[in-house]
Amino acid sequence: MITAERKPFDKILGLVGESKKVLVAGCDTCVAVCLTGGEKEAEILASELRIEAGMNGRETEVEHTSAIRQCEWEYLDLISDKVDQADVVVSLACGIGIQSMAEKFATKLVVPGVDTNMLGMPLEHAVWLERCGACGECVLGETAGVCPVVRCSKSLMNGPCGGSHEGKCEVKTPEGEEIDCAWHLIWERLKAQGREDLMFVDRPPKNWSKGSSGGPRKMVRVEARPV
Amino acid sequence: MTAIRLQRCKLGEPDERGRRRPEPIPGAFFEIPCETVIFAVGQAIVGDFAQGLAGVGLEGDQVKTDDSTLATGRPGVFAGGDASPKGPLTAIEAIAAGRKGAASVHNYLRGEQLVSLWSNPLPEARPDDAEVKKVTRQERSPMPEHPGAERRRNWVEVREGYTEEQAIAEAKRCLQCAVCSECMECARICPPKALIHEERDSELDLEVGAVVLATGYDAYDPGSKGEYGYRRYPNVLSALEYERMLSASGPTIGEVKRPSDGAHPHNVAFIQCVGSRDQKHDYCSSVCCIYANKQAMLTTDHVPDCSPDVFLMDMRAQGKGFDLFYQRAVDRGVNFIRSRPSAIKEDPLTKDLLINWEDEQGVLHQNRYDMVVLSVGLEPARKGQEAAGRLGIALNRHGFCDLKEFDPLQSSREGVFVIGPFSEPKDIPDSVAQGSAAAARVMAQLADSRGTLTAEPVYPPERDVSDEEPRVGVFVCHCGSNIASVVDVKDVAEHAAKLPGVQCSTDTTYVCANDSLQLIREKIAEHDLNRVVVASCTPRTHEPIFQSTLREAGLNPFLFEMANIRDQDSWVHKKEPDKATAKARDLVRMSVARARLLAPLSKIDVPLTHSALVIGGGIAGMTAAGSLGDMGYEVHLVERASQLGGRVLQVGRTIRGNDPARILATLEQRLIDNPNIHIYLDSHLADFHGFVGNFSSVIEDKDGRRTPVDHGVIIVAIGAREERVDLYQLDRRPGVVTEMDLERMLKEHDPRVTEAGSVGFVLCAGSLEGDHPYCSRVCCQHGVKNAIELKERNPSRPVYVWFKEMRTFGLLEEYYTRARDLGVVFIRYANGNRPQVSSEGPLTISYHETALNRDVSLPLDLLVLAVPSVGAEGSVDLSKLLKVPLQRDSFFQEAHVKLRPVDCASEGIFICGAAHYPKSIDETISQAYAAAGRAAALLAKQVIKAGGVVAEVDQDRCAACLTCVRVCPYSVPVIDSEVKKARIEPATCQGCGVCVSECPVKAITLHHYTDAQILAKEEALFMEVS
Repeated sequence: MITAERKPFDKILGLVGESKKVLVAGCDTCVAVCLTGGEKEAEILASELRIEAGMNGRETEVEHTSAIRQCEWEYLDLISDKVDQADVVVSLACGIGIQSMAEKFATKLVVPGVDTNMLGMPLEHAVWLERCGACGECVLGETAGVCPVVRCSKSLMNGPCGGSHEGKCEVKTPEGEEIDCAWHLIWERLKAQGREDLMFVDRPPKNWSKGSSGGPRKMVRVEARPV
Repeated sequence: MTAIRLQRCKLGEPDERGRRRPEPIPGAFFEIPCETVIFAVGQAIVGDFAQGLAGVGLEGDQVKTDDSTLATGRPGVFAGGDASPKGPLTAIEAIAAGRKGAASVHNYLRGEQLVSLWSNPLPEARPDDAEVKKVTRQERSPMPEHPGAERRRNWVEVREGYTEEQAIAEAKRCLQCAVCSECMECARICPPKALIHEERDSELDLEVGAVVLATGYDAYDPGSKGEYGYRRYPNVLSALEYERMLSASGPTIGEVKRPSDGAHPHNVAFIQCVGSRDQKHDYCSSVCCIYANKQAMLTTDHVPDCSPDVFLMDMRAQGKGFDLFYQRAVDRGVNFIRSRPSAIKEDPLTKDLLINWEDEQGVLHQNRYDMVVLSVGLEPARKGQEAAGRLGIALNRHGFCDLKEFDPLQSSREGVFVIGPFSEPKDIPDSVAQGSAAAARVMAQLADSRGTLTAEPVYPPERDVSDEEPRVGVFVCHCGSNIASVVDVKDVAEHAAKLPGVQCSTDTTYVCANDSLQLIREKIAEHDLNRVVVASCTPRTHEPIFQSTLREAGLNPFLFEMANIRDQDSWVHKKEPDKATAKARDLVRMSVARARLLAPLSKIDVPLTHSALVIGGGIAGMTAAGSLGDMGYEVHLVERASQLGGRVLQVGRTIRGNDPARILATLEQRLIDNPNIHIYLDSHLADFHGFVGNFSSVIEDKDGRRTPVDHGVIIVAIGAREERVDLYQLDRRPGVVTEMDLERMLKEHDPRVTEAGSVGFVLCAGSLEGDHPYCSRVCCQHGVKNAIELKERNPSRPVYVWFKEMRTFGLLEEYYTRARDLGVVFIRYANGNRPQVSSEGPLTISYHETALNRDVSLPLDLLVLAVPSVGAEGSVDLSKLLKVPLQRDSFFQEAHVKLRPVDCASEGIFICGAAHYPKSIDETISQAYAAAGRAAALLAKQVIKAGGVVAEVDQDRCAACLTCVRVCPYSVPVIDSEVKKARIEPATCQGCGVCVSECPVKAITLHHYTDAQILAKEEALFMEVS
């Protein structure tokens, strides 16, 4: 799923500025599931904004709503009444949802309430790990199901670097936690599957243009298009 | 008028009642000359009247009645007074008959049986009572009379009356034989009219299969200890009197003041062991140390500048968590003085009290106190002893009921069980556990008749209120003076009356009393109420009572709401009554707001598995399994080791001289012979799911074989183990062993023990300090037991015991006495002054001898350490698997330390034995029966009521994000594979609300605690603010 983290409150406040009518719009799909931008979080942020305005003597009206998926035109229709009432929309959807909202309601000020960060999965409840870099050309079939693109700190494609030590990467998370070396994981799993030879295959340089480096991408599913 | 003519009479023959009537003698007339005649007329019933009433029998001229009920032969007609067979009597008799008749008429009109209310006399002392016999005979003071010669010439009162001295002397002759003089003042003053003087003892014949004696204890009368001046010095109180003084509902409404002058005392002393641990009481009362701790701490609450002194010998805080409590008292500034004062003297001018005491160095001190509290001990209940006499059960030399060590509830008579302090002084949790244990024993004995005498309550059909506007009734409780002395309850009731939807609002003394519950039912009918709010105490204890009242009145029990204006208001804001009243108004307003939105909910019946899983095959698990097996339930008993018995296998002999191996063997055979019981050795619990009544577990053996088991309850009895602390050279020198090591060595006749020339014991080796600040409860008795044993085997062998606090509580005290009589040397040490054990060369121990004030070194052949008990191996894993918490001291946490000692907070999970806290074999057996009893109370049900307050998913909104599935502590939510949305089964949901607060799309609602209901409370709270 797409994961996102809520922006610090002061940042959101700065984006809202002096607007008198604020709508906090949640999205009940990916950002809800990663506990950042569903209806509950939208309601909480709306309360926070109301309390802040009240405490500082501003008369600001804050409403909240949420769309089933903010990245679909039809679902945005369902919340358009509330959007029309607002001066500014704080979207808690991922970057996709925020953009669809901004495009659909082009005259409105739409600002992000979250920072979209990765395509990941919950390792356990409320802990997410990045799993996919949307590189456009999947290599998981050769790497025992471990993605070197996002799980190797250097996105190496031909085995570990010299910084792999006892299964851990020389890079640590910003919080100072250890990161598993992706190539160590790949090696261990290939060994367990008896496919060690895959480790010694030379891979040519990866075509990064199929990923975000190649400019905005477009996908058309021809057979699903209306005739 | 000149004369009166009379006829002479003679006495006739006696009639059937033995009365001789006068018979005139024919012709024997005579005259008395006179000028005035006054007739003293007799009285007779107007016979025609009674004869006119068919069925009313006559007896001579009088109406025949039943002596006790005044009923005549005709139903509905009663007769008394002059018409009764006794004939004309005094006005007092007539009035009594009138009242008696009125009572009978009352019963008759209500269709009840006519019973004599006066046939049982009031209790009164009889001349042969022991108390009365103590009184010395004293003649009545003669009444002075006016001399006869003078009386002829004046109208002066003949009887001159007593002088003051005579009157006092006469009054002192009163035997106080009547318990009550029926002045009726108490009945008049009692607001809920709870005192009924007409009630009398009645005798019932009951056929029962077992008898449980729970007769409690008598508090020692400190008046018997003349040296403490109780009853002579007004400022010397017994602990029970002081307890009342500290209580908000006590005689001083919780104000601590000296009885002599009402002043607040600033120096208060407590004297421990009054009526315990003395020449007459060779036992410890077990509970006084902790209650004195509590009272001393409360004293510092009531009188902030007071730091009480407690005179004691040992701090006996052997109960769970008690040492932390003691530490809190020390931190609050309570001084604990190791001394037993010999006397209290009173300063006659100030009524202050003087205590002379000697410190541990032998220096004498004198302290002056404003007030002294005597911590009185527990004596066997006299009424219990009388009952024991009637039942023919044996008492021990202290007068407590004699019980067998390994059958700790069974009296000397089969079928008669004894619980609570009648067998030995004990604390609340132990007494409560024994109560459940007795239930288990009785349930096993009477398994055949289970459920044959139960009656299901019958309720009227529920009224459908869904289309009605909310009509709220508010009932504000005084809780005696608990609430009303702080909160203006009338004001709160008036405030409530003005709230939207409120139809009636009243205040009563005790809303939970029967007459008030009746009032609630009446008001529901009168005002057509469909919601009820009670502002009183806590729903934890009282909600079920009020809910069933609603049910009786035809309302759904969930249409009820409580405002806690006692625990959360009057108790905490005692000093600010105005603010407390304002807060009570807020709380009631919030409750009314929520009540308006309450919706009826219904419960459903869920079947349950009638079997138990017992984890741990030591004495606790074996006893619990055996008990449930005897009741006819299927039991799965899981033991990690390859043999049943646990730690008791290592114990050779108990302090009372019994061999536990025998009882273990018998018990094991009983388990093996019972087809209901399945034993799994070398096994452990590998998986655990489900909820009360419907658990499913997996038992795994050492070869990895997994057996799935369904069960309704689980009992945790995994015991404890010794922690081998790195102190006193343990595991560094061969001569230093633990108490369990010594048990093994004694059993094996190890020459290191049999040939040891001198032996030392260090108790609390690592306990009451550092990582183990708690008491392991059993080590003192182990130490004393083995000290006695070693001394008896070789009286010339020196045996020393170093201790911090000697905790031979209850009847164990006599073994401490015995050890000292045998010459065992007991030496107290403190944490900062531990004995030191030599690390090389000959084994020696050196310590500071307080009496001599110098360091002493002694050679030892064997040193035995009482190391701390800690949770058994695997307790952390088990606690995680079962989701029941361990406490900081590594033992399992019970639901309520005093009142629910064997229940876990999660329903259907029980604990017993050392897994709960270290305990002796007899205590363990009691507690194991208790766990079985509590478990059986669940298993005896045919169905479990579920639902009502449960969470429900709005599947249209559900994002199937799995949050609820992951956060539920009971693993209830699932993603329905058909609709791919979350689903919560109402039968299994426990209503905790965790999923509701976590759901990111707000798709889950907790019934009875909906967002709308909670927000309504908040809005009501701030209504007056904004």
